Amino acid sequence: MTQLRRRPSTERDLDRFELRRLVAEIAADPREWSGLVRFDTPARHFEQLWRDRHVDVWVISWVNGSDTGFHDHDISHGAVAVVAGEVIEERFVLLGPPRRLIHRAGETFDFDASHVHRMCHDSAGHAVTIHAYSPPLWRMGTYTSSSDGELRRESISYAEELRPAVTAA
Amino acid sequence: MRRAELVNADGLDLALIAPSTPIGIESLAPAEVEPLLEAYHEGVAALPQEFGAWAAVNLTEPDAPALERRLEAGFVGACVPAGALTSPAGYERLGPVLETLERRGRPLFIHPGPPQGAVLAGAPDWWSALTDYVASMQAAWHAMAVWGRRAHPDLRVCFAMLAGLAPLQGERLTARGGRTSSDAGIFLDTSSYGTRAIDAVIREVGADRLVYGSDRPVIPAAEPALGEAVRSALRGRNPELLLSTTINTRGFAHDSAQAPAKH
Repeated sequence: MTQLRRRPSTERDLDRFELRRLVAEIAADPREWSGLVRFDTPARHFEQLWRDRHVDVWVISWVNGSDTGFHDHDISHGAVAVVAGEVIEERFVLLGPPRRLIHRAGETFDFDASHVHRMCHDSAGHAVTIHAYSPPLWRMGTYTSSSDGELRRESISYAEELRPAVTAA
Repeated sequence: MRRAELVNADGLDLALIAPSTPIGIESLAPAEVEPLLEAYHEGVAALPQEFGAWAAVNLTEPDAPALERRLEAGFVGACVPAGALTSPAGYERLGPVLETLERRGRPLFIHPGPPQGAVLAGAPDWWSALTDYVASMQAAWHAMAVWGRRAHPDLRVCFAMLAGLAPLQGERLTARGGRTSSDAGIFLDTSSYGTRAIDAVIREVGADRLVYGSDRPVIPAAEPALGEAVRSALRGRNPELLLSTTINTRGFAHDSAQAPAKH
């Protein structure tokens, strides 16, 4: 919660490439986040490192195969740095199986606001990731499939913890 | 319904009463102000355990030792009308009061004060709440950033009524040469606002800066439809950070055996 010692530039929104640089810099400085990593919770654990009008930064600890379910970030671009373990990203593909990517420690990736994905933890071992979004996360969309196969989007506050999709009635 | 039952009906463990600063008793003549403030403090200290309270501040003769005694007696912090803290002179005048809060780690609550100017004939009941109160809370918000924070770097502050939506003026502020800031010691209460305004302010400052507030008993309390995470942040985690302390947030001495509220 607003505890980065070295503050991100806060004069304007950042693009996805600037976000990627930002998460790489923060990932390289464990003093900024190592005290907030926790593996003793039943689901993934997230802590906000920074939030201002232009960017928010989080550290997420992944355990036990935790899974965000498919979601979007409304109008925010994002970037992620993996600092420990590995996470699986599945990018949503209309009318086809999702595109599956594996991101390992030391890697970064980014996405624009039009992106729909889920992130999961491979249940072997722990993982730690640094995330940054600009403009800061506000509303997010979570996706479910109804019993007749129709895609449903629910708008939630960014403060809600993302969970795997539950089939809507 | 009894007031204490309303606290429970609103889903709260503890409601903090603030003096009705729009009435203006804090600024009455010296002979009148203290007996009235004393009556307020005695009255709220006698309330049941569902209530705590903010101490009132004598603006005619600001009295830091009196505030110190009231904090000792169990008041959670001090409530000051917005108009008293909209200028360097206001901050200087209340400096010892704010230093007392800061030193003791107790929060300041900034609430609308008496409307400025004459009451408009024929104006609806809500006129001041949508005009003077909004303007004065916005002025107090900017004054805290420009003068207050420099003088009181560790003071935790809660602005009533989402600071008159001052955080939504960020673009206009920067366009006019001002600077926005991210201040973990500043909170905003949601009194008389609903889902849309609360969500809009969350977009600007994040859900960690907001605390649940209401204008009970004057106005019925409303619950924003923003999900369980926001509800829990506004009613639990954020108020604990605002009040954060080892103090007895269960109210006054008569219920000191009870554990602090946990959500």
